[in-house]
Amino acid sequence: MRKKQAATTFRVLCTTTLAGCILAGCASGSGVNEGSATSGTNQGGAPTSETQAPFKLTIMTNLHTPEVPTDAIEKMLEEKTNTDLTINWVPDGSYEEKLNSSFATGSLPQAVYMKNQTTYILFRDAIRNNQFWEIGPFIKDYPNLSKLDELVVKNTAVDGKTYAIYQERPLSRQGIIFRKDWADKLGLAAPKTTDELYNMLKQFKEGDPDGNGKADTMGLTDRSDLVYGAFKTVASYFGTPNNWGLADGKLQPEFMFPQYKETMDFFKKLYDEGLINKDFPVTSKEDQQNLVITGKAGMYIGSMADVQSLHQKTVEINPNALYDVANHISGPDGNAGIWSIPGYGNLVLFPKSSVKSEEELKSILAFFDKLMEPELANLVKWGVPDKHYTIVEGGLVQKAEDTKMTDREQKPYEILQVGGESTIDMLRAYNKLPAKAKAEELIIENNSMLINDPTAALDSKTFGLKGVELQQIINDATYRYILGNLDAAGFDGEIERWKKGGGESIIAEYNESLAKSQ
Amino acid sequence: MKKHDLRRRIMKNKAIYLMILPGLLYFVLFKYFPMWGLVISFQEYRPYDGILGSDWVGFKHYQRLFTEPMFWTIFRNTIILFLMNLIFFFPVPIILAILLNEVRLQAFKRFVQTIVYIPHFMSWVIIVSISFVMVTMDGGMINEGLDAMGMQKINFLLSDEWFRPMYIVQVIWREAGWGTIVYLAAIAAIDPQLYEASRMDGANRFRQIWHITLPSIRSVIVILLILKIGDVLELGFEHVYLLLNAMNRNVAEIFDTYVYTAGLKQGQFSYSTAVGFFKSFVGLVLVMSANWLAKKFGEEGVY
Amino acid sequence: MVHDKTIGGRLFDGAVYVILFLVALVTILPFLHIIAGSLTTVDELAQKRFVLFPTKISWDAYTYIFSTNTIFRSMLVSIGVTGFGTLFSMILTSLMAYGLSRRDLVGRKQLMFMIVFTMLFSGGMIPTFIVVKSLGMIDSYAALIVPTAINAFNLIILRSFFQNLPDGLEESAKIDGCTDWGILFRIVIPLSMPAIATISLFYAVTYWNTYLPAILYIDSAEKWPIQVLLRQIVILASGLTADSSGFSGDFVTPPDQTIKMAVIVVATVPVLLVYPFLQKYFDKGALLGSVKG
Repeated sequence: MRKKQAATTFRVLCTTTLAGCILAGCASGSGVNEGSATSGTNQGGAPTSETQAPFKLTIMTNLHTPEVPTDAIEKMLEEKTNTDLTINWVPDGSYEEKLNSSFATGSLPQAVYMKNQTTYILFRDAIRNNQFWEIGPFIKDYPNLSKLDELVVKNTAVDGKTYAIYQERPLSRQGIIFRKDWADKLGLAAPKTTDELYNMLKQFKEGDPDGNGKADTMGLTDRSDLVYGAFKTVASYFGTPNNWGLADGKLQPEFMFPQYKETMDFFKKLYDEGLINKDFPVTSKEDQQNLVITGKAGMYIGSMADVQSLHQKTVEINPNALYDVANHISGPDGNAGIWSIPGYGNLVLFPKSSVKSEEELKSILAFFDKLMEPELANLVKWGVPDKHYTIVEGGLVQKAEDTKMTDREQKPYEILQVGGESTIDMLRAYNKLPAKAKAEELIIENNSMLINDPTAALDSKTFGLKGVELQQIINDATYRYILGNLDAAGFDGEIERWKKGGGESIIAEYNESLAKSQ
Repeated sequence: MKKHDLRRRIMKNKAIYLMILPGLLYFVLFKYFPMWGLVISFQEYRPYDGILGSDWVGFKHYQRLFTEPMFWTIFRNTIILFLMNLIFFFPVPIILAILLNEVRLQAFKRFVQTIVYIPHFMSWVIIVSISFVMVTMDGGMINEGLDAMGMQKINFLLSDEWFRPMYIVQVIWREAGWGTIVYLAAIAAIDPQLYEASRMDGANRFRQIWHITLPSIRSVIVILLILKIGDVLELGFEHVYLLLNAMNRNVAEIFDTYVYTAGLKQGQFSYSTAVGFFKSFVGLVLVMSANWLAKKFGEEGVY
Repeated sequence: MVHDKTIGGRLFDGAVYVILFLVALVTILPFLHIIAGSLTTVDELAQKRFVLFPTKISWDAYTYIFSTNTIFRSMLVSIGVTGFGTLFSMILTSLMAYGLSRRDLVGRKQLMFMIVFTMLFSGGMIPTFIVVKSLGMIDSYAALIVPTAINAFNLIILRSFFQNLPDGLEESAKIDGCTDWGILFRIVIPLSMPAIATISLFYAVTYWNTYLPAILYIDSAEKWPIQVLLRQIVILASGLTADSSGFSGDFVTPPDQTIKMAVIVVATVPVLLVYPFLQKYFDKGALLGSVKG
């Protein structure tokens, strides 16, 4: 080993390979996986015979649990797909660094997960420049991949071409979680309008809902996130567009609509009357949830599915606590809506630096096609029957009680899933907790009133360059307005700053892109 | 100096050059080779085209930086935080080390030393989250205390007046103990006979500190000061980023946080590199000036 | 030191003890909270937020951490990397620092400037990655050690200590027939033990805290050092990855806060244990009878 290294060092020093390498951008092979594709996979992908050598495949993906999982499920996947699988797990918090440096040095493996939409958008430019395989033309040859939802596939497309296999996400999980026992004590029903929502928060503060005789409760708990926190969801109730909306046939950013201001006024009122935690612009998710778990706040607005973990943690402290969920809340105009995401979470891309031939690409696609077969989809999503889950009434899945065990053996593999419940005939969850079961129903019901982002499949160069830093101006202004540090005129001034800083180009480019797509 | 003289001096120190060689190799390989990376600040760098394939754009990214409306705010914030670091933080480890040196109970000395060195191992995420618990308006200990005393609650987190004090207190809390170690090592190298002699002369403890301890560790202080000045624009990205919010951005946005939002988050390697280059350049100018000053005052300097 | 029995001296002593005691107290409280937090129950921590003395001791967090061998394995990796790395770094650094401390060295000033220059300018992550890759170090422990083998700051400090040794040492050693190597190992290093201990500690701590190189260069999870695990748990438990990753609710259940605290304790204790062993080098007159005798 040492000898070899010394030799390499010597070679590097004596020749200019190194400098040459840096200069040329090193688009050479990754060296991770030299296993050539076996040619036995034909259209449709299944290996022709059982005796064939396993196909070597390396996947890079993000890890969202504390530890790397045991390899039992990986072994089962290998067996069922006749693959020699290597999974490079990368901690969630550092995924971007790993992705960027591996990409720039040509070290990405054959299949690379993108973690989320935000990272994916950063790679648009590279995708356009032929760094990843276009898979659109091949998809139709695979029985399962061809079932992927066309609308979502279109949302992932770059210049109308498909490069990625997506992992399904419910279009909207957003809604309200509140303390039902508090509401019952105060004689309040689940809110149906923004006025009722405000009233519930006020009662939670002033009506002594926990009955301890002290004024020590507040209404809403929120955190430093204008999107996945409460703000954007409440903005939907007021009828604000999702990121961008049409006004007189032209696209405009959400904050230029009067509804956005109404939402800010609503929050300003909550803040001024002490119905929301005073430090919400700097509160972490951990501290936000803590306020509701410990019975200081009575409402949480965000993903309704969070009710499960909130309930578990709350009853450890207060066994009598009870949660309920609500959606379909209408604003002053009488309409109820809810913002949606583009329908995908994670995605997989196939770098040209490591996938050398169309043959190899087809074998890889065959693997992902198999991953969409019900048996394997269940394996990655739920794990091994009678170990990580049991089948209960109605053929639903009851997950194992021992979450620490499932965290270590099965949970990380969920990230590998491609497609999802609407495209695969797979097992579904049984929810013991009524509030969680209701949350799942409401998540489906959300699909009937979605507010979509019209720019999901559009493109703006300036947005790619400066979108994030410009959005910062608006986010800051929104917080400052709510906290009373900025008035309406001041907020408009910040919008002007946004326009001058490049916002005008973004508006123009999106409208151009829209005109092209119609 | 004559040529053959020079050669003789070099030949005489053959062994010394041999000692330096492995280290030199390291610097060339891992520090100077990668400096190729700096040229991308004059390009529109695209990772897949490499440095040879990317287009040259001259000073475009530098122009963007200097015409950035926030530029002077960021510059001012960075300099103010740096000066606070220099004035309020830099002397603390020196004072602490001298105090520790005056303790005669060895057990107590070691106990305190070990304790003050712990916080350095807490990540900023942890420190900031513990601070949050202490100062939040929603039931934080300090505000509850103020409330109990009938005083106004203070919004520490969402105000531009409190950001700097909070920042510097956290820096002192985390790094002061750690910073004492170098000085303690320098103090340990002082010849005890010097103290004996001065006690014979009837010098009291203050005078001993002033005339023996401080002069003996002066060269270490000077070197650390020069190096610290070179870090003028490096203030600990993670720490500031965690404290940064809409209400204190006008005082808390520094180069590192700005680059993170404007460059790295959007994959703009060239722009980030340009900002980095500018920071390095400012650091270099300051280090050279500090070094020149130090030498003027008869100190060693760092080079 | 002989006792200073004057009134002023005693007052001075008293003041020093009081100040240092307060400093220690302020410093230790947050850490006590972390230890207490790792030993308490999840609900007590949630309700009190700041715990110093748990009402009920619970070892759940520790049993969870130690129930698999992941933490042991990454600890071993960290200990190995720290041990070998520190040794490797110290050899390179002391050789170079001694060489550069010699005032008669031709090119000394230029070399020092070159080193200071690297503290200010760096080519960035990607070019360094390419160097590491070209040397065939990807996914090897060498990638955690070699690219950070010499820290310019440590080198400069060590050189400064070497330069502060009394003049004339080398001359007399030379007259006694010592080679340059002999001077370094028999005279300079033994006389600079406080500095050697300090810089070794700096290196050890840097290696112990190594994080980003592990993320960038190591693909196999079994080679991860402890910091990777630590940060992953802290970030997940603080909800920092939050919904931005497109997960939420049932998809990611953050680990308990108590587990976060326990991991911090476990990852910090080993470094704390190292320090007392080095403290004897910081005692006054550790070099008693150094040269003049």
